Amino acid sequence: MLDGIGGWVDQHLLTALIFSPIASLLVPMMLEAFGWRLSVTMWKGFALIVSLVGLGLGIEVWRRFDATVGSMQMVEHSTWISGYGINYYVGIDGISLFLVVLAAFLLPIILIASWVEIAKRVKQYIFFMMLLQTGMLGAFLSLNLFLFYVFWEVMLIPMYFVIGIWGGPGRLYATVKFFIYTMLGSLLMLVGILVLVFLHYQQFPGDPVTFDYIGFAGAPGIIDTPIPTEGQPWWQNQSCLFLLFGLSFAIKVPVFPFHTWLPDAHVEAPTAGSVVLAGVLLKLGTYGFLRYSLPLFPVATIDLAPWVLGLAVIGIIYGALVAMVQQDIKRLVAYASVSHLGFVMLGLFALNLQGLEGALLQMVNHGLSTGALFLLVGMLYQRRHVRDIAEFGGLARVMPTFTAFFVITTMASIGLPLLNGFVGEFLILIGIFAVSPLVAVLATSGIILSAVYMLWMVRRVFFGPLLHDVNRKLVDLGLREKLVATAMVVPMIWIGIYPSSFLRPMDRSLSALLRKMEARGADIAAYQGLGESSGRASKESTDTSGPESGE
Amino acid sequence: MSMSLDIAALGPMLAVGVGAILLPIAEVLLARKRTFLSRPLTRERRGTFLAVGSLLCLVIALIVSFNGFVGPVRVFNMSNPMIVMDRVSHFLNIVVLLGAAMTVLVSVKYLADIRTNHGEYYALVMSSVLGMMFLTSATDLILLFLALELMSIPLYVLSGFQRESLRSNESALKYFLVGSFASAILLYGMALLYGATGSVSLAEIGARFDPESAIDMLGAALVLVGLGFKISSVPFHQWAPDVYEGAPTTVTGFMATTVKVAAFGALLRVLTLALEPASDVVYGALWVIAVLTMTVGNLMAIIQQNIKRMLAYSSIAHAGYVLVGLIVGTIEGYAAVLFYLLVYTFMTLGAFTVVAILAKGGEDRDRIDDLAGLGATRPLMAAAMAISMFALAGIPPTAGFMGKFQLFRAAIERGTETGDTSLFVLAILGVLNSAVSLAYYLRVPLVMYFREPDAKLTPDLPGFFERFVLLTCLAAIVLLGVVPGDVFVIFGDFDILSKTTAAAQQLLSPPSP
Repeated sequence: MLDGIGGWVDQHLLTALIFSPIASLLVPMMLEAFGWRLSVTMWKGFALIVSLVGLGLGIEVWRRFDATVGSMQMVEHSTWISGYGINYYVGIDGISLFLVVLAAFLLPIILIASWVEIAKRVKQYIFFMMLLQTGMLGAFLSLNLFLFYVFWEVMLIPMYFVIGIWGGPGRLYATVKFFIYTMLGSLLMLVGILVLVFLHYQQFPGDPVTFDYIGFAGAPGIIDTPIPTEGQPWWQNQSCLFLLFGLSFAIKVPVFPFHTWLPDAHVEAPTAGSVVLAGVLLKLGTYGFLRYSLPLFPVATIDLAPWVLGLAVIGIIYGALVAMVQQDIKRLVAYASVSHLGFVMLGLFALNLQGLEGALLQMVNHGLSTGALFLLVGMLYQRRHVRDIAEFGGLARVMPTFTAFFVITTMASIGLPLLNGFVGEFLILIGIFAVSPLVAVLATSGIILSAVYMLWMVRRVFFGPLLHDVNRKLVDLGLREKLVATAMVVPMIWIGIYPSSFLRPMDRSLSALLRKMEARGADIAAYQGLGESSGRASKESTDTSGPESGE
Repeated sequence: MSMSLDIAALGPMLAVGVGAILLPIAEVLLARKRTFLSRPLTRERRGTFLAVGSLLCLVIALIVSFNGFVGPVRVFNMSNPMIVMDRVSHFLNIVVLLGAAMTVLVSVKYLADIRTNHGEYYALVMSSVLGMMFLTSATDLILLFLALELMSIPLYVLSGFQRESLRSNESALKYFLVGSFASAILLYGMALLYGATGSVSLAEIGARFDPESAIDMLGAALVLVGLGFKISSVPFHQWAPDVYEGAPTTVTGFMATTVKVAAFGALLRVLTLALEPASDVVYGALWVIAVLTMTVGNLMAIIQQNIKRMLAYSSIAHAGYVLVGLIVGTIEGYAAVLFYLLVYTFMTLGAFTVVAILAKGGEDRDRIDDLAGLGATRPLMAAAMAISMFALAGIPPTAGFMGKFQLFRAAIERGTETGDTSLFVLAILGVLNSAVSLAYYLRVPLVMYFREPDAKLTPDLPGFFERFVLLTCLAAIVLLGVVPGDVFVIFGDFDILSKTTAAAQQLLSPPSP
């Protein structure tokens, strides 16, 4: 029987990865149904084992991944609702690979980190975390637009409960705001998906209706549909469809001015919720732009890019400025998130290889460093039950190990060389410089500002004299917490020192994406700036990225 | 031409009709001091007996309807086809019967709880169901009107069934007044249509309808207004919240689901058979009504504190969504309407069942705050309520999402085919409305799971019947959402999506007499 399962998993690695979290819960549920009383610790232990298996599957996917191929790998396809073109269709490429690995990597860490914090309704907590994991992995791996939409929405319900049940005092407001904001966007995306599907149906009259994003077995997929830029009714134009999709993604990222749900959700969510939110959920927004908006609507992308870049720059600077005046550490990190994700947006809309690679890497980086910051803030909150910066000061004396981890993470977050943030931001800046030096300069000011607020916060919390006597009794990290923190810091250093192991698998898929955009009518060369300046930019980038990746 | 009557075509109606007649007699027999069981029965016992009796009739009717659904179209009287038993009628009858069966099951304990356990309740429900079944299969104005009245009059009584309660009396009076008003308007419209075309058969009216003539158009408009009252579309909706709030909860659930299903059935027939020539104007008017209905329903639901009132406005909003499918007017659109009505019945009855179980000590507990902490005290009820709410809000992977998806899919499909921007705008307004509806649907799980229970008010455990209904609704909501193409495989080859499409196809090609 085990051989049978092993063989099946071998054949359906991605399906196993997506559904193992939620399906495995049947085991303890059955045991309880047959009268076994499982203790809370057993439930937690079981969840941890499942999450580690998930991590193992994620690493196996990475191991099997063929970096020399730019197309989808490990594809699985079977009919879900026949006659409607709705299929269970999953696959992985260089764009989704690391986001999937990141999600698989974060789950065990989150479960270990929240081992003590979550004291009430543990079973429900585990159920919702597992459902969330299934939803996120499914959304990253779907190649059928309907399937993607379903997974995209499935994530909302567990997150709603995670914030609502285990969150802070303002959780009700935060969770409803989060839900309505994201759902509003995604419903508009649903209309966009439908229009696309029937445009496709019209363009390929012989074929059945299909929601498959990439054609399966020779049939054309949605990605092969020529989408008019004008002439048709306005709502069938690329720009309108871009907006329908883009609003949904922009809310998820979140792009300024759709970001207001994020600080509320982050502050009220329990640590685990914040980490998942920052680590993976927000990446779905940027992933959506990269996977769907850019290749599907390339002409509209270029037409509307100035607006997106403008909003991204505003987000970077605004997020940084607001972060600067926050009293609450968690809120500060939340606004820092808004600022950092602005960088990712810049990288995406640079529409060149450096920009895209930087953006994709920065998504992973942000997941790691912001995730780690939330974990560390959570540990501090666990001890003192406050998060106000003013309540702390001089913690380095009582909690040296904690301080060390926190400082490393902060450095990674503000982009110190040899840590992960630097590589991503650097690539993004190269990429965006080719498009608009002005935007690059403005974005750089965001980096400086981020150094200001982060270092300021670190100084006020960790250094200087011990201002409050309560803080004298704080204990340093225990073994469990050290384990968690170490697990987060190691990949930060890895990416910082040897980014090629992450950049290489992305390469083919991203260049394939750029080629696809050009084939679909996007004049990327013109967008990159004309003639000489473009040549200089790309020369510069090759010069600098050479030693970078060889480091 | 010989008079050939196909009595067997009326099988499902006969089963229900016999029940409606026999149940009052059975009640009298059971109420005697010396019953055939040789000992007096308590009121509760009697109620259970009558409920099981009506359930039996409903199940027989269901089985007959299932058989009819896969069989050929049957017409009661070929020379004068007033009743056409095609797939549409059978499908809608199945939905109506399912709704009625679940209502009956929940009523047993509920009627005892609110201390109104009178036997005639079940007879009234059965008569109303009979009216609905005729309504879905009527292709003739006279029968349509009779069926509508047969459906409505027992409902006027049922909504005032809690005789001592002021709320219930108010509800009955309001419903009766507005209902008669609507019937009168409908009848006036029918008279005009008859006067203009000289026929009461929907198909013949369609053949002779002259969209240029003012009388024809006025008649059509009045008929639509009359039916608009029954489906509670805006601006003919004001009665619904008051009536729904005051009526006994099980009756409200019954009204909110089956009545709408049957009235939409009638609307389907009228639109496809009689008003086809005027479709441009009619669909334009319906477009406006649909948008108003969705928007007003959703906005008003947000501010409600009473869950029955909230569900009333929610049901108004859902009527708006269903209208989208009618406006599309393609096979896909009608199929989506049929599918949505099925799904809507399960979602709404799931919610109303929970509210009915909460009633205790002769009173409803129907404020949203009464649900506080239900997640901790009564997990099954809370789960059923929460999933019903998520389904009503249209969140995947529930059936509610699949239903809305079908409706908007049909609209966009037609829109891209013809380049009709108004359908795109309708879909956009529809999804925006879904987003608005979250504001009130989410409040219910919020109260149930995130608030502490009121220690004094622990709700009753759901009994066997109630638990059965809740689990049925849950299973239907999940299965119709996850595997809509494969649902009911257990009943043989019954793929719900293709079957609703097949049913819709028959609607567009009615059998000629």
